[in-house]
Amino acid sequence: MRYFDARIIENRALGNGYFVLRLGGCESLAGSRPGQFMMLRGDWGRDPLLPRPMSLLSVAPEGRADLLARAVGQGTRLLESALPGTRVSILGPLGNGFPEPTQATLDLLVAGGVGMPPLFMQAEHAAHRGLIDRCEMIYGGRTARDLVLLAEMRGLGLAPCLATEDGSVGRRGRVTAALEARIEHHRAATPDRRLRIMACGPREMLWAVARIAEPHAIECYLSVEEQMACGIGVCLGCAMPARSRPFRYACSDGPVFLASDLVIPPAPGQVAGGAP
Amino acid sequence: MTPAPAMPASGNGGPSLAIRCGGIDFHNPVLTASGTFGYGKEFAGLLPLASLGGLVTKGISPNPRFGNPAPRICETAAGMLNSIGLENVGLEGFAAEKLPFLRTCGTKVLVNFFGTTFDEYVECGQRLGQLEGVDGLEMNVSCPNIKAGGIEFGRDPRVLGELVRACRNVIAKPLWVKLTPNTSDIVLLARACAENGADAVSVINTIGGMAIDAHTRRPRLATVFGGLSGPAIKPVALRMVYQIHRAGLGIPICGIGGIQSGIDAVEFFLAGASTVQVGTQNFIDPASSERVVREVEDFCRANGVTDLREIVGGLVV
Repeated sequence: MRYFDARIIENRALGNGYFVLRLGGCESLAGSRPGQFMMLRGDWGRDPLLPRPMSLLSVAPEGRADLLARAVGQGTRLLESALPGTRVSILGPLGNGFPEPTQATLDLLVAGGVGMPPLFMQAEHAAHRGLIDRCEMIYGGRTARDLVLLAEMRGLGLAPCLATEDGSVGRRGRVTAALEARIEHHRAATPDRRLRIMACGPREMLWAVARIAEPHAIECYLSVEEQMACGIGVCLGCAMPARSRPFRYACSDGPVFLASDLVIPPAPGQVAGGAP
Repeated sequence: MTPAPAMPASGNGGPSLAIRCGGIDFHNPVLTASGTFGYGKEFAGLLPLASLGGLVTKGISPNPRFGNPAPRICETAAGMLNSIGLENVGLEGFAAEKLPFLRTCGTKVLVNFFGTTFDEYVECGQRLGQLEGVDGLEMNVSCPNIKAGGIEFGRDPRVLGELVRACRNVIAKPLWVKLTPNTSDIVLLARACAENGADAVSVINTIGGMAIDAHTRRPRLATVFGGLSGPAIKPVALRMVYQIHRAGLGIPICGIGGIQSGIDAVEFFLAGASTVQVGTQNFIDPASSERVVREVEDFCRANGVTDLREIVGGLVV
């Protein structure tokens, strides 16, 4: 983990508020694991005050790092309009990251909306290791305009399974329904294959993914996004109710957690304990 | 306050930043605030800890505490709210796991502590005061008093005075008290500390506040209320430091509240603080406390100040 200044080399708009920032001067991020993140802040004065936790999309040689974000709040709107040459301060890489891809497993990478970057990076990592056929991207969003970098995914050798809530591309419905279908498929076609799930996206999506994985006894890793001020386990703002301890911290214990270590709330409309 | 021997901050004949505050000799006046600097080790790779005047640890209670439900923090205009719930490793965990590093960190170590009853405060303060490597203690009196319906110990001057006296009686090391700004008269609180043997007051803790999400109609913090910190509170902190200084109580003041730069720190010195703590800024720029030291030194050099003590309380009114 280092604290350093970087510069925006390129700011590429992808439409619908999504953009990819290419940063230079990020030599300290070399060797970052997929799922790790950084705290990033521009010269914004006092408002917004705090740095933003941002997932890595890709890390390349010569100090280059890419981020994918969507302009939804004050900080991301400032980043969306940032020009090449803009200086940003970075603390990173932070957190733990996803487990390594392996020959013996098939990893279902479940991406919801702007939660996609760490899974893209995991796929890229798998591709570099010749294991792209050991992962499968299941990517969902509200509409086709929420699914970005599809060409780049195909360039890695992925054939992403897409889902949109309005049916504008891919399967109509939530990404979790697509996940269930893929699990059924793999269970029927290759019952001996060891599946793992790695997911990142909105909170409710992650809980739904965990609830799907549990009865199948599939090892399930969730990358959570939480409000955090420091990124290094100091402010204790990003507490997650956990099973092994009262709380775990998204920044220093995560952001990737085994779903079995988190307290997963019951599905909406269901009462804890299983009563109807 | 006993003057400390003048000691240059650097070997090149620069201004002296050395200062004595609350029974402790600091080589410079910049400390880091409790709850924003962990137990020191978290920042060891980000700045040389020895460059700081001192650090104040996360608040320690007799037993470990696990804190409040999430969400615990939210950003506000030029500030943030927190409701962490005084989570900490507890007295024994601190002594066993955290203190060994702090003994070697090269800066003064103040341990912030609290309890939920009088007895807990006394027990915790006494034990911490006996530990080698602890240079001083800072009482957090913004904790709810369980036996008094949850009202903070530090809001009532009489209760505060009794608490400070009870701790003073068992703590030989320097004892500072971190005052809550959630009061109608900060001077009464400072006086209760001064009259009951405290060595310094840290001014201020967070200001009570809340934030609401209009779209969901829900509070942004799980506990509804939290403590506001960051640059938004600096004017309130300056006022309170100055009010205490002006009251002439003779108790040294450590200024806290929204300090982001050396100039911010100098404003606190002028208002009457002899040391300062950098808090929320540690989240924004984890190396900022070291920068604040340099900027104070730069200010002194540029303004012909040869000894920091020349400007403490130097507000021209």
